Amino acid sequence: MIEPKLISYLFMAVAGALSLIATYLAVIEKDLVKAVIYSAIQSTAYTILFYLLMAPDIALVYIPVAVGLYPAVVFFLIKKTERFEESG
Amino acid sequence: MRLGRYLQAFSLVALAVLLAVALTYKGLGDLPNPAVRDLALWYLYTTLNPEVPNMTVMSPEAVTAIVWDYRGLDTLFETMVFFLAIVGALAIMRGITLNEGGEGLHIERYGLSLITKTATKLLVPLIIGVSASIALHGHLTPGGGFQGGSAAAVAPLLVLVIFSTYYVVFKLRLSELSMISLRTLGLMGIYMTSFATLILGLVIGVNAYIFQNMPKANAFIGLPPALGGSLISGTLFFFNLFEFFAVAAGFTLVFILLSIPEVKAREVLKGEEHGH
Repeated sequence: MIEPKLISYLFMAVAGALSLIATYLAVIEKDLVKAVIYSAIQSTAYTILFYLLMAPDIALVYIPVAVGLYPAVVFFLIKKTERFEESG
Repeated sequence: MRLGRYLQAFSLVALAVLLAVALTYKGLGDLPNPAVRDLALWYLYTTLNPEVPNMTVMSPEAVTAIVWDYRGLDTLFETMVFFLAIVGALAIMRGITLNEGGEGLHIERYGLSLITKTATKLLVPLIIGVSASIALHGHLTPGGGFQGGSAAAVAPLLVLVIFSTYYVVFKLRLSELSMISLRTLGLMGIYMTSFATLILGLVIGVNAYIFQNMPKANAFIGLPPALGGSLISGTLFFFNLFEFFAVAAGFTLVFILLSIPEVKAREVLKGEEHGH
């Protein structure tokens, strides 16, 4: 029988790995719109981590800020400047 | 090039694994002293405990109790930082406004498709309802003014993107000025709430403190923990309510300013260069 605590740790490990992959993709991506979406995926993984670490207050503020408001600000700024990062 | 990418990915994974190993074997110094946890136990013991009348906050939500009562000054200054950030945005965008020129516009032609607009019309009341619940139950369940306010700000943001800025400013009448007014109202509410007990004490003529919530050992006065049979935890409910308005209006204000078309902003900036 698997303990409930172990399942929670397992979810944390998966969320942590997902956030790591998303961060890596966000850093190397040249299309800034895609990079922001990767960053939002990373934030979603963090939200799962916060929830499992018993910080629902932080999870509640992290969802609207990191998935809604912050990408929106960056999208507005990308629209006002340039979408693609120059290689080099 | 390809090898470099693999090396990058490998070094990230190696960093994560090594940090985990180092933390597990206390390689980055000792873990915090377990004696610190006595403080947490004290908060949990006193947060809703009428048996310790001079210590309790009368709120079952220990996090909100810490945020707005035990450590309330920290949150007050955080609100001030957010206030200054919005003032900075306003100062940079000064003079750039959409307040006129909406008469000849066909507002319904702007924005995304009808399907998206209908879905948004259904979603917006839900978002506002959930965010109001998060903020107004902040002293009972996880959540609070900032959480509720930032969730509520998603609703005008969706309308701005999906229905266009013109719809928000000319049809819904959510101009910058009304957002500034709402935000000032929220901040004034926070200001008045932090002085409420002091003013009450001055009127009655007993000892009281700024930012006081429940009665303390040498200041017997405090705000009521419940109104009409439902728990409001003294100042916590009012702080959450006013913070909700201040944060939601602040974010909406920044988004309205950011979504003003670049052409309009350029006109104002060019005018400045020519000395108009």
